[in-house]
Amino acid sequence: MPDPASTPAQAGSLVTFGRYAGPATLILSSLADGAKHGYALTKDIEEFASVRLAPGTLYEALSRLESQGLIEALASEDRRRPYQLTVAGAQALRAHLADQRRVADVGLRRLARSWGPA
Amino acid sequence: MKRPADLAARRVVRLLRWYPASWRARYGEEFAELLLAELTEQPRSARRTANVIASGLLARCTAAGLTSHELPPAEQIQTGAATMCAAFAVFLTFGVAMLAQLATGWQWASPRSASAAAGTVAMCAGVAVLLLISLAAAVPVAWAVAVVAIGHRDGRLARPAGLALACAAALAIGTRHFQNSWPGTGGTGAHHHLVPAGLAAFGWAWTLSVSSFWAHPALLVIFPVAELIWMLLSPVAVIALVAALVTVVRRLALSGGLLRYLTQLAVAASAAAVPFLAGAASWVLGSGPGQAGLFRPGLVDGADLLMMALSLVVALRLSLALLHARRQLPAAD
Repeated sequence: MPDPASTPAQAGSLVTFGRYAGPATLILSSLADGAKHGYALTKDIEEFASVRLAPGTLYEALSRLESQGLIEALASEDRRRPYQLTVAGAQALRAHLADQRRVADVGLRRLARSWGPA
Repeated sequence: MKRPADLAARRVVRLLRWYPASWRARYGEEFAELLLAELTEQPRSARRTANVIASGLLARCTAAGLTSHELPPAEQIQTGAATMCAAFAVFLTFGVAMLAQLATGWQWASPRSASAAAGTVAMCAGVAVLLLISLAAAVPVAWAVAVVAIGHRDGRLARPAGLALACAAALAIGTRHFQNSWPGTGGTGAHHHLVPAGLAAFGWAWTLSVSSFWAHPALLVIFPVAELIWMLLSPVAVIALVAALVTVVRRLALSGGLLRYLTQLAVAASAAAVPFLAGAASWVLGSGPGQAGLFRPGLVDGADLLMMALSLVVALRLSLALLHARRQLPAAD
Protein backbone atom coordinates (compact mmCIF):
# COMPACT_ATOMS: atom_id res chain seq x y z
CA MET A 1 0.00 0.00 0.00
CA PRO A 2 1.37 3.40 -0.86
CA ASP A 3 2.54 5.63 1.93
CA PRO A 4 -0.37 8.03 2.60
CA ALA A 5 2.18 10.76 3.31
CA SER A 6 3.64 10.54 -0.19
CA THR A 7 2.92 13.59 -2.31
CA PRO A 8 2.53 13.93 -6.08
CA ALA A 9 6.00 15.50 -6.14
CA GLN A 10 7.41 12.24 -4.81
CA ALA A 11 5.81 10.16 -7.55
CA GLY A 12 8.55 8.63 -9.66
CA SER A 13 11.21 9.41 -7.05
CA LEU A 14 13.06 6.75 -5.09
CA VAL A 15 11.55 7.97 -1.80
CA THR A 16 8.51 5.77 -2.40
CA PHE A 17 10.60 2.60 -2.80
CA GLY A 18 10.97 1.99 0.94
CA ARG A 19 13.47 -0.78 1.62
CA TYR A 20 14.01 -1.19 -2.12
CA ALA A 21 15.45 2.34 -2.43
CA GLY A 22 18.98 0.98 -1.95
CA PRO A 23 18.77 -1.76 -4.61
CA ALA A 24 16.91 0.65 -6.94
CA THR A 25 19.71 3.24 -6.61
CA LEU A 26 22.33 0.61 -7.40
CA ILE A 27 20.39 -0.63 -10.44
CA LEU A 28 19.81 2.87 -11.82
CA SER A 29 23.47 3.73 -11.27
CA SER A 30 24.50 0.60 -13.12
CA LEU A 31 22.16 1.37 -16.02
CA ALA A 32 23.43 4.97 -16.21
CA ASP A 33 26.19 3.92 -18.61
CA GLY A 34 24.06 1.66 -20.79
CA ALA A 35 21.52 -1.16 -20.96
CA LYS A 36 22.21 -4.41 -19.08
CA HIS A 37 20.39 -7.69 -18.40
CA GLY A 38 19.94 -9.24 -14.96
CA TYR A 39 23.22 -11.11 -14.59
CA ALA A 40 25.27 -8.24 -16.05
CA LEU A 41 23.60 -5.90 -13.54
CA THR A 42 24.50 -8.22 -10.67
CA LYS A 43 28.15 -8.41 -11.73
CA ASP A 44 28.46 -4.66 -12.42
CA ILE A 45 26.91 -3.71 -9.07
CA GLU A 46 29.17 -6.20 -7.30
CA GLU A 47 32.16 -4.56 -8.98
CA PHE A 48 31.41 -0.89 -8.32
CA ALA A 49 29.56 -1.16 -4.98
CA SER A 50 30.90 -4.41 -3.50
CA VAL A 51 27.28 -5.50 -2.99
CA ARG A 52 25.88 -8.68 -4.51
CA LEU A 53 22.13 -8.26 -5.06
CA ALA A 54 20.28 -11.55 -4.52
CA PRO A 55 18.21 -12.58 -7.59
CA GLY A 56 14.83 -12.16 -5.86
CA THR A 57 15.72 -8.70 -4.58
CA LEU A 58 17.09 -7.67 -7.98
CA TYR A 59 13.90 -8.60 -9.81
CA GLU A 60 11.59 -7.14 -7.16
CA ALA A 61 13.43 -3.82 -7.54
CA LEU A 62 13.46 -4.14 -11.36
CA SER A 63 9.69 -4.69 -11.49
CA ARG A 64 9.08 -1.68 -9.22
CA LEU A 65 11.37 0.51 -11.31
CA GLU A 66 9.67 -0.64 -14.49
CA SER A 67 6.15 -0.07 -13.14
CA GLN A 68 7.19 3.47 -12.08
CA GLY A 69 8.53 4.14 -15.58
CA LEU A 70 12.10 4.69 -14.36
CA ILE A 71 13.51 1.89 -16.54
CA GLU A 72 12.22 0.08 -19.61
CA ALA A 73 12.76 -3.38 -21.02
CA LEU A 74 14.36 -3.78 -24.42
CA ALA A 75 13.78 -6.62 -26.87
CA SER A 76 14.92 -9.94 -25.49
CA GLU A 77 18.43 -11.19 -26.38
CA ASP A 78 17.97 -14.96 -26.49
CA ARG A 79 16.23 -15.54 -23.16
CA ARG A 80 17.86 -12.57 -21.41
CA ARG A 81 16.14 -9.21 -21.42
CA PRO A 82 18.19 -6.00 -21.10
CA TYR A 83 16.86 -2.93 -19.32
CA GLN A 84 17.70 0.70 -19.94
CA LEU A 85 17.24 3.93 -18.03
CA THR A 86 14.36 6.21 -19.08
CA VAL A 87 14.46 10.01 -18.99
CA ALA A 88 12.37 9.94 -15.80
CA GLY A 89 14.75 7.36 -14.35
CA ALA A 90 17.78 9.54 -15.12
CA GLN A 91 16.10 12.53 -13.44
CA ALA A 92 15.11 10.47 -10.40
CA LEU A 93 18.64 9.05 -10.07
CA ARG A 94 20.23 12.49 -10.45
CA ALA A 95 17.95 13.98 -7.76
CA HIS A 96 18.47 11.04 -5.40
CA LEU A 97 22.27 11.06 -5.75
CA ALA A 98 22.35 14.85 -5.28
CA ASP A 99 20.42 14.39 -2.00
CA GLN A 100 22.85 11.69 -0.92
CA ARG A 101 25.82 13.89 -1.85
CA ARG A 102 24.43 16.74 0.32
CA VAL A 103 24.15 14.36 3.28
CA ALA A 104 27.63 12.96 2.62
CA ASP A 105 29.13 16.49 2.34
CA VAL A 106 27.56 17.58 5.65
CA GLY A 107 28.73 14.41 7.40
CA LEU A 108 32.29 14.70 6.06
CA ARG A 109 32.49 18.43 6.93
CA ARG A 110 31.34 17.80 10.50
CA LEU A 111 33.72 14.86 10.85
CA ALA A 112 36.60 17.01 9.64
CA ARG A 113 35.69 19.79 12.11
CA SER A 114 35.38 17.52 15.14
CA TRP A 115 37.76 14.68 14.37
CA GLY A 116 40.24 16.26 11.99
CA PRO A 117 40.73 15.64 8.28
CA ALA A 118 40.86 12.04 7.07
CA MET B 1 23.08 -40.15 -13.78
CA LYS B 2 21.76 -36.68 -14.52
CA ARG B 3 24.01 -33.93 -15.90
CA PRO B 4 24.63 -30.88 -13.64
CA ALA B 5 22.94 -28.64 -16.24
CA ASP B 6 19.76 -30.73 -16.08
CA LEU B 7 19.79 -30.66 -12.30
CA ALA B 8 20.24 -26.88 -12.30
CA ALA B 9 17.39 -26.45 -14.79
CA ARG B 10 15.12 -28.55 -12.59
CA ARG B 11 16.05 -26.51 -9.53
CA VAL B 12 15.26 -23.31 -11.42
CA VAL B 13 11.84 -24.66 -12.40
CA ARG B 14 11.15 -25.58 -8.78
CA LEU B 15 12.22 -22.13 -7.55
CA LEU B 16 10.08 -20.37 -10.15
CA ARG B 17 6.97 -22.12 -8.78
CA TRP B 18 7.12 -19.82 -5.75
CA TYR B 19 6.12 -16.94 -8.03
CA PRO B 20 2.56 -16.34 -9.29
CA ALA B 21 1.70 -17.26 -12.89
CA SER B 22 1.28 -13.61 -13.94
CA TRP B 23 4.80 -12.80 -12.69
CA ARG B 24 6.27 -15.88 -14.40
CA ALA B 25 4.60 -14.88 -17.66
CA ARG B 26 6.35 -11.49 -17.55
CA TYR B 27 9.72 -12.21 -15.92
CA GLY B 28 9.96 -16.02 -15.78
CA GLU B 29 12.22 -16.61 -18.78
CA GLU B 30 14.81 -13.93 -18.00
CA PHE B 31 14.72 -14.72 -14.28
CA ALA B 32 15.38 -18.40 -15.07
CA GLU B 33 18.43 -17.34 -17.11
CA LEU B 34 19.72 -15.28 -14.20
CA LEU B 35 19.22 -18.17 -11.77
CA LEU B 36 20.99 -20.58 -14.12
CA ALA B 37 23.97 -18.22 -14.32
CA GLU B 38 23.99 -17.88 -10.53
CA LEU B 39 23.77 -21.65 -10.06
CA THR B 40 26.68 -22.16 -12.44
CA GLU B 41 28.77 -19.68 -10.50
CA GLN B 42 27.72 -20.90 -7.04
CA PRO B 43 25.81 -24.22 -7.11
CA ARG B 44 24.60 -24.16 -3.48
CA SER B 45 23.44 -21.15 -1.48
CA ALA B 46 20.78 -21.42 1.20
CA ARG B 47 20.69 -17.61 1.43
CA ARG B 48 19.91 -17.29 -2.30
CA THR B 49 17.20 -19.98 -2.10
CA ALA B 50 15.60 -18.22 0.89
CA ASN B 51 15.74 -14.89 -0.97
CA VAL B 52 14.03 -16.33 -4.05
CA ILE B 53 11.34 -18.03 -1.94
CA ALA B 54 10.69 -14.86 0.07
CA SER B 55 10.55 -12.77 -3.11
CA GLY B 56 8.18 -15.28 -4.71
CA LEU B 57 5.82 -15.08 -1.75
CA LEU B 58 6.07 -11.28 -1.83
CA ALA B 59 5.18 -11.36 -5.55
CA ARG B 60 2.15 -13.49 -4.68
CA CYS B 61 1.09 -10.91 -2.06
CA THR B 62 1.60 -8.18 -4.67
CA ALA B 63 -0.56 -10.10 -7.14
CA ALA B 64 -3.24 -10.18 -4.42
CA GLY B 65 -3.00 -6.39 -3.96
CA LEU B 66 -1.49 -6.74 -0.48
CA THR B 67 1.88 -4.98 -0.76
CA SER B 68 3.15 -1.46 -1.24
CA HIS B 69 4.10 -2.25 -4.84
CA GLU B 70 1.45 -0.24 -6.65
CA LEU B 71 -0.39 -1.90 -9.52
CA PRO B 72 -2.26 0.19 -12.11
CA PRO B 73 -5.42 1.55 -10.34
CA ALA B 74 -7.99 -0.59 -12.19
CA GLU B 75 -5.88 -3.72 -11.74
CA GLN B 76 -5.31 -2.87 -8.07
CA ILE B 77 -9.06 -2.54 -7.44
CA GLN B 78 -9.94 -5.70 -9.34
CA THR B 79 -7.18 -7.73 -7.66
CA GLY B 80 -8.01 -6.24 -4.28
CA ALA B 81 -11.73 -6.98 -4.70
CA ALA B 82 -10.93 -10.60 -5.54
CA THR B 83 -8.68 -10.95 -2.48
CA MET B 84 -11.30 -9.18 -0.37
CA CYS B 85 -13.79 -11.81 -1.54
CA ALA B 86 -11.49 -14.55 -0.19
CA ALA B 87 -10.83 -12.68 3.07
CA PHE B 88 -14.55 -12.27 3.75
CA ALA B 89 -15.21 -15.91 2.89
CA VAL B 90 -12.80 -16.86 5.69
CA PHE B 91 -14.28 -14.23 8.02
CA LEU B 92 -17.87 -15.31 7.42
CA THR B 93 -17.13 -19.04 7.59
CA PHE B 94 -15.71 -18.75 11.10
CA GLY B 95 -18.08 -15.94 12.08
CA VAL B 96 -21.21 -17.80 11.01
CA ALA B 97 -20.00 -20.96 12.77
CA MET B 98 -19.72 -18.98 15.99
CA LEU B 99 -22.98 -17.08 15.53
CA ALA B 100 -24.90 -20.26 14.63
CA GLN B 101 -23.75 -21.79 17.92
CA LEU B 102 -24.89 -18.73 19.91
CA ALA B 103 -28.17 -18.35 18.01
CA THR B 104 -28.98 -22.03 18.56
CA GLY B 105 -28.08 -21.73 22.23
CA TRP B 106 -30.40 -18.72 22.56
CA GLN B 107 -33.30 -20.90 21.45
CA TRP B 108 -32.86 -23.05 24.53
CA ALA B 109 -32.17 -20.28 27.03
CA SER B 110 -31.09 -16.65 27.16
CA PRO B 111 -27.39 -16.09 27.86
CA ARG B 112 -26.49 -15.40 31.48
CA SER B 113 -23.87 -12.73 30.86
CA ALA B 114 -24.43 -9.30 29.36
CA SER B 115 -21.26 -9.63 27.25
CA ALA B 116 -22.53 -12.82 25.58
CA ALA B 117 -25.95 -11.24 24.93
CA ALA B 118 -24.50 -7.98 23.59
CA GLY B 119 -21.95 -9.89 21.55
CA THR B 120 -24.58 -12.08 19.93
CA VAL B 121 -26.77 -9.08 19.09
CA ALA B 122 -23.78 -7.23 17.58
CA MET B 123 -22.88 -10.29 15.52
CA CYS B 124 -26.47 -10.66 14.27
CA ALA B 125 -26.53 -7.03 13.16
CA GLY B 126 -23.06 -7.34 11.60
CA VAL B 127 -23.84 -10.48 9.64
CA ALA B 128 -27.08 -8.97 8.34
CA VAL B 129 -25.20 -5.92 7.03
CA LEU B 130 -22.44 -8.10 5.55
CA LEU B 131 -24.95 -10.31 3.74
CA LEU B 132 -26.72 -7.24 2.33
CA ILE B 133 -23.40 -5.83 1.12
CA SER B 134 -22.48 -9.21 -0.42
CA LEU B 135 -25.81 -9.24 -2.24
CA ALA B 136 -25.29 -5.67 -3.45
CA ALA B 137 -21.89 -6.69 -4.86
CA ALA B 138 -23.03 -10.02 -6.29
CA VAL B 139 -25.95 -8.70 -8.37
CA PRO B 140 -24.05 -6.35 -10.74
CA VAL B 141 -21.06 -8.72 -10.95
CA ALA B 142 -23.34 -11.69 -11.74
CA TRP B 143 -25.07 -9.60 -14.40
CA ALA B 144 -21.73 -8.62 -15.96
CA VAL B 145 -20.62 -12.27 -15.88
CA ALA B 146 -23.85 -13.44 -17.51
CA VAL B 147 -23.52 -10.86 -20.28
CA VAL B 148 -19.93 -11.89 -21.07
CA ALA B 149 -20.14 -15.64 -20.40
CA ILE B 150 -23.47 -16.27 -22.12
CA GLY B 151 -23.74 -13.33 -24.49
CA HIS B 152 -20.17 -13.50 -25.78
CA ARG B 153 -19.68 -17.24 -25.11
CA ASP B 154 -16.50 -16.58 -23.14
CA GLY B 155 -15.31 -19.93 -21.74
CA ARG B 156 -12.64 -18.31 -19.56
CA LEU B 157 -15.45 -16.79 -17.52
CA ALA B 158 -18.13 -19.41 -18.06
CA ARG B 159 -16.09 -22.26 -16.56
CA PRO B 160 -15.31 -20.64 -13.16
CA ALA B 161 -18.80 -19.11 -13.06
CA GLY B 162 -20.30 -22.57 -13.69
CA LEU B 163 -18.07 -24.09 -11.00
CA ALA B 164 -19.15 -21.38 -8.54
CA LEU B 165 -22.82 -22.06 -9.27
CA ALA B 166 -22.36 -25.82 -8.94
CA CYS B 167 -20.52 -25.47 -5.61
CA ALA B 168 -23.10 -23.02 -4.26
CA ALA B 169 -25.94 -25.36 -5.28
CA ALA B 170 -24.22 -28.40 -3.71
CA LEU B 171 -23.60 -26.46 -0.50
CA ALA B 172 -27.18 -25.17 -0.35
CA ILE B 173 -28.70 -28.63 -0.95
CA GLY B 174 -26.36 -30.35 1.50
CA THR B 175 -26.90 -27.69 4.15
CA ARG B 176 -30.69 -27.90 3.78
CA HIS B 177 -30.47 -31.66 4.19
CA PHE B 178 -28.27 -31.65 7.27
CA GLN B 179 -29.88 -28.69 9.03
CA ASN B 180 -32.94 -30.84 9.63
CA SER B 181 -31.07 -33.76 11.15
CA TRP B 182 -28.62 -32.05 13.45
CA PRO B 183 -29.59 -32.45 17.13
CA GLY B 184 -29.83 -29.13 18.92
CA THR B 185 -31.20 -27.14 16.01
CA GLY B 186 -34.74 -26.51 15.07
CA GLY B 187 -35.79 -24.63 18.20
CA THR B 188 -37.66 -25.57 21.34
CA GLY B 189 -40.86 -23.68 20.85
CA ALA B 190 -38.85 -20.60 20.07
CA HIS B 191 -39.67 -18.60 23.18
CA HIS B 192 -36.20 -17.10 23.37
CA HIS B 193 -35.07 -16.97 19.82
CA LEU B 194 -33.01 -14.09 18.50
CA VAL B 195 -32.56 -15.56 15.03
CA PRO B 196 -35.25 -17.64 13.27
CA ALA B 197 -34.63 -21.30 14.12
CA GLY B 198 -34.31 -22.34 10.49
CA LEU B 199 -31.64 -19.72 9.81
CA ALA B 200 -29.64 -20.71 12.87
CA ALA B 201 -29.81 -24.37 11.83
CA PHE B 202 -28.80 -23.47 8.27
CA GLY B 203 -25.75 -21.58 9.53
CA TRP B 204 -24.84 -24.46 11.80
CA ALA B 205 -25.11 -27.08 9.08
CA TRP B 206 -23.23 -24.87 6.57
CA THR B 207 -20.29 -24.62 8.97
CA LEU B 208 -20.51 -28.09 10.52
CA SER B 209 -16.86 -28.69 9.66
CA VAL B 210 -15.74 -25.84 11.96
CA SER B 211 -15.76 -28.08 14.98
CA SER B 212 -13.69 -28.95 18.03
CA PHE B 213 -14.50 -32.61 17.35
CA TRP B 214 -11.50 -32.70 14.98
CA ALA B 215 -9.29 -32.40 18.05
CA HIS B 216 -10.95 -35.49 19.52
CA PRO B 217 -11.05 -38.03 16.67
CA ALA B 218 -12.35 -40.81 18.95
CA LEU B 219 -15.56 -38.84 19.52
CA LEU B 220 -16.24 -38.56 15.79
CA VAL B 221 -17.68 -42.10 15.85
CA ILE B 222 -20.89 -40.70 17.34
CA PHE B 223 -21.56 -38.91 14.04
CA PRO B 224 -23.56 -40.66 11.33
CA VAL B 225 -21.35 -41.53 8.36
CA ALA B 226 -23.26 -39.13 6.09
CA GLU B 227 -22.54 -36.21 8.43
CA LEU B 228 -18.86 -37.09 8.63
CA ILE B 229 -18.69 -37.10 4.85
CA TRP B 230 -20.44 -33.71 4.84
CA MET B 231 -17.94 -32.36 7.37
CA LEU B 232 -15.12 -33.46 5.09
CA LEU B 233 -16.60 -32.43 1.74
CA SER B 234 -18.32 -29.14 2.59
CA PRO B 235 -15.01 -27.27 3.23
CA VAL B 236 -13.76 -28.54 -0.13
CA ALA B 237 -16.91 -27.14 -1.77
CA VAL B 238 -16.47 -23.80 0.06
CA ILE B 239 -12.83 -23.54 -1.03
CA ALA B 240 -13.76 -24.39 -4.63
CA LEU B 241 -16.59 -21.83 -4.52
CA VAL B 242 -14.31 -19.08 -3.25
CA ALA B 243 -11.52 -19.96 -5.73
CA ALA B 244 -14.05 -19.85 -8.58
CA LEU B 245 -15.45 -16.48 -7.43
CA VAL B 246 -11.95 -15.02 -7.11
CA THR B 247 -11.14 -16.22 -10.64
CA VAL B 248 -14.33 -14.70 -11.99
CA VAL B 249 -13.67 -11.31 -10.38
CA ARG B 250 -10.07 -11.27 -11.63
CA ARG B 251 -10.98 -12.23 -15.20
CA LEU B 252 -14.01 -10.00 -15.62
CA ALA B 253 -13.48 -6.71 -17.45
CA LEU B 254 -15.08 -4.23 -15.05
CA SER B 255 -16.04 -0.68 -15.95
CA GLY B 256 -14.68 2.30 -14.00
CA GLY B 257 -18.11 2.89 -12.48
CA LEU B 258 -18.40 -0.70 -11.26
CA LEU B 259 -14.85 -0.60 -9.87
CA ARG B 260 -15.72 2.52 -7.86
CA TYR B 261 -18.97 0.90 -6.65
CA LEU B 262 -17.15 -2.29 -5.57
CA THR B 263 -14.55 -0.20 -3.73
CA GLN B 264 -17.30 1.51 -1.72
CA LEU B 265 -18.88 -1.84 -0.87
CA ALA B 266 -15.52 -3.37 0.11
CA VAL B 267 -14.80 -0.50 2.48
CA ALA B 268 -18.34 -0.68 3.91
CA ALA B 269 -17.97 -4.44 4.44
CA SER B 270 -14.68 -3.96 6.28
CA ALA B 271 -16.33 -1.35 8.51
CA ALA B 272 -19.32 -3.64 9.19
CA ALA B 273 -17.02 -6.52 10.09
CA VAL B 274 -15.45 -4.55 12.95
CA PRO B 275 -18.55 -4.58 15.25
CA PHE B 276 -19.10 -8.22 14.28
CA LEU B 277 -15.59 -9.09 15.47
CA ALA B 278 -16.06 -6.93 18.55
CA GLY B 279 -19.25 -8.85 19.36
CA ALA B 280 -17.47 -12.17 18.93
CA ALA B 281 -14.58 -10.99 21.12
CA SER B 282 -17.06 -9.73 23.71
CA TRP B 283 -18.49 -13.24 24.00
CA VAL B 284 -15.25 -15.24 23.84
CA LEU B 285 -13.15 -12.99 26.04
CA GLY B 286 -15.81 -11.39 28.22
CA SER B 287 -17.92 -14.37 29.26
CA GLY B 288 -17.27 -15.57 32.77
CA PRO B 289 -17.12 -19.16 33.93
CA GLY B 290 -20.85 -19.23 34.69
CA GLN B 291 -21.91 -19.73 31.08
CA ALA B 292 -23.72 -22.94 30.30
CA GLY B 293 -24.26 -25.09 27.21
CA LEU B 294 -23.58 -23.45 23.89
CA PHE B 295 -22.76 -20.10 25.52
CA ARG B 296 -19.62 -21.52 27.12
CA PRO B 297 -16.73 -20.53 24.83
CA GLY B 298 -14.13 -23.17 24.08
CA LEU B 299 -10.74 -23.36 22.43
CA VAL B 300 -12.33 -23.69 18.99
CA ASP B 301 -14.04 -20.33 19.54
CA GLY B 302 -10.69 -18.74 20.38
CA ALA B 303 -9.30 -20.17 17.15
CA ASP B 304 -12.35 -18.86 15.27
CA LEU B 305 -11.76 -15.42 16.72
CA LEU B 306 -8.12 -15.47 15.67
CA MET B 307 -8.97 -16.46 12.09
CA MET B 308 -11.62 -13.72 11.91
CA ALA B 309 -9.17 -11.13 13.25
CA LEU B 310 -6.50 -12.12 10.72
CA SER B 311 -8.90 -12.00 7.79
CA LEU B 312 -10.22 -8.62 8.97
CA VAL B 313 -6.68 -7.22 9.14
CA VAL B 314 -6.21 -8.30 5.51
CA ALA B 315 -9.56 -6.74 4.56
CA LEU B 316 -8.77 -3.43 6.27
CA ARG B 317 -5.36 -3.23 4.60
CA LEU B 318 -6.99 -3.94 1.25
CA SER B 319 -9.60 -1.26 1.92
CA LEU B 320 -6.90 1.40 2.26
CA ALA B 321 -5.21 0.22 -0.95
CA LEU B 322 -8.57 0.21 -2.78
CA LEU B 323 -9.38 3.75 -1.64
CA HIS B 324 -5.96 4.94 -2.82
CA ALA B 325 -6.40 3.21 -6.19
CA ARG B 326 -9.95 4.60 -6.54
CA ARG B 327 -8.64 8.16 -6.22
CA GLN B 328 -6.23 7.45 -9.08
CA LEU B 329 -8.84 6.07 -11.50
CA PRO B 330 -9.28 8.33 -14.55
CA ALA B 331 -12.23 10.65 -13.95
CA ALA B 332 -13.81 10.01 -17.35
CA ASP B 333 -13.71 6.22 -16.95
